[in-house]
Amino acid sequence: MFSHNRRKLLQVSGALAAAGSVPLLARAQVAAPRVVVIGGGFAGATLAKYVRMWNPKIQVTLIEPNPSHVSCILSNLVMTGALGMNAITLRYDNLRSKYGVSLVADRAVGIDAVNHIVTTQNGSRIPYDKLVLAPGIDFDAVPGLDTAVLPHAWQAGPQTLALKAQLDAVPAGGTFVMSIPPAPYRCPPGPYERACLLADSLLRRRRAGRVIVLDANNDVVAEPHTFHTAFQTTYASVIDYRPSSVVTSVDWANKTIHTNWGPIRADGANIIPPQKAGKLVVAAGLLGTNPATRWAPVNPLSYESTVVPHIHVIGDSQGTGQPKSGHMANAQAKVCADALIRYFAGEAPDPAPMTNSACYSPITSKTASWLTVVFGYDAASGLMKPVPNTLAEAPAPSGDHYEDMFGWANNLFADSFS
Amino acid sequence: MKQIRKYLSGASALALLMATAAAHGAPPAGRLLASQCAQCHGTNGQAVSGMEKLAGESEGEIYKELIEMKARIKPEEIMHRQAAGYTDAQIRLIARYFATSGKVSTTTTSTTPTTGTSSRNKSRGDD
Repeated sequence: MFSHNRRKLLQVSGALAAAGSVPLLARAQVAAPRVVVIGGGFAGATLAKYVRMWNPKIQVTLIEPNPSHVSCILSNLVMTGALGMNAITLRYDNLRSKYGVSLVADRAVGIDAVNHIVTTQNGSRIPYDKLVLAPGIDFDAVPGLDTAVLPHAWQAGPQTLALKAQLDAVPAGGTFVMSIPPAPYRCPPGPYERACLLADSLLRRRRAGRVIVLDANNDVVAEPHTFHTAFQTTYASVIDYRPSSVVTSVDWANKTIHTNWGPIRADGANIIPPQKAGKLVVAAGLLGTNPATRWAPVNPLSYESTVVPHIHVIGDSQGTGQPKSGHMANAQAKVCADALIRYFAGEAPDPAPMTNSACYSPITSKTASWLTVVFGYDAASGLMKPVPNTLAEAPAPSGDHYEDMFGWANNLFADSFS
Repeated sequence: MKQIRKYLSGASALALLMATAAAHGAPPAGRLLASQCAQCHGTNGQAVSGMEKLAGESEGEIYKELIEMKARIKPEEIMHRQAAGYTDAQIRLIARYFATSGKVSTTTTSTTPTTGTSSRNKSRGDD
């Protein structure tokens, strides 16, 4: 492959010597391909950066109303007060200054998939050759739940601080109720991590009453060894873990959470609603005609929608079955970026893409665990499948892992946003 | 003097050609695979903090290390599980990409860490 390219280069080089460089320059100045990205989380930012870094001849426009992204990764440490908001606030400046991404500070509101045009709240019409949707997640309504009063904090930002205020207001000996939605949802270990840090926080402030964890799933979804151990030993005096428990409605005027097992009185609560693909994915018709479909079906070689051509979906909204996380969103964005670059060069996507997941979860204020898996494309099924022997959780939480967690997060933040 | 100028103009024409070839040709072998290391080891293997830098390591070194990791998985080592995800041929491509890109890459990716104070330098392999 390498020597083939080199031979080709030498041939062109010979042609140039004969013809001079001007015709070549003119030929290079055909209309630049246009990629438009909607959503500046880990998926959208990484896609924008990598397309430009790998091929600066492609124009990339990122439509994102906020001036920065607030990372869910490490946000439970803002809830406990260990980190400030600045530690998880990731600006888009570098995407523009280092990579030449065009930033449009506006909200995308419509997609004309026939004429390839995105419309925004302020009335801009932005044309595309390829559109990449990375809108993250949307939530089902939980009857009676007002997230302005009881924040889910499953999108980081002001709600992260509102959740911190909820935690700080729990009286001594009080009861905090949190709920976990049915899988798949954003960040499989995240809710269990949050339960641990809620308990740790109450214990350290000597205010421990109880943390009741209502899990809609019938068992711990991720890192079962780590979290069962944490719930049954480390936090046995605080955490009351209840599997197969679904929040049916919330009556916060009476500080009551209704569940399939009956009502629970609480002093503080964190209800994390069931999740689905972002609104634009639904509005663009990318879920197809089956009303039960919650995530966009895509071809995992390119992340192109299998419903509407030339629209790609990466990150939490895509429906390949890979875990929904910032690390995976970054991984998918690179596969998509490579496929877009090949597409504009008239080539098929890489036939054997790989993605991987690695993430660290704080378990106490000084220790963390990790979870990892590598996915490979399976041509027979057309699916991304875990490679045997790669799915694993840390044997035990440790201080070393806690330190590595920051190395991981810093590199992931930088690889995605700068 | 005239000869030097001629040489320079030849060199810039070649640079233009290489850029053009890169713009229209297939992505370099191993680039997409190697990019999957960047979440932890930095863009183009240039880690910003707390993790091992891969750019500019020798091909043999990276290859040998990853092959050893997957041959003898230690449960406490996250990297051993990652290594187990790739075939020997894929590991060869990744190792070659980092060994080469570290020497020719013109993209600087040094950035200021945003979070935390991780200073423990991850030693490689079975620490």
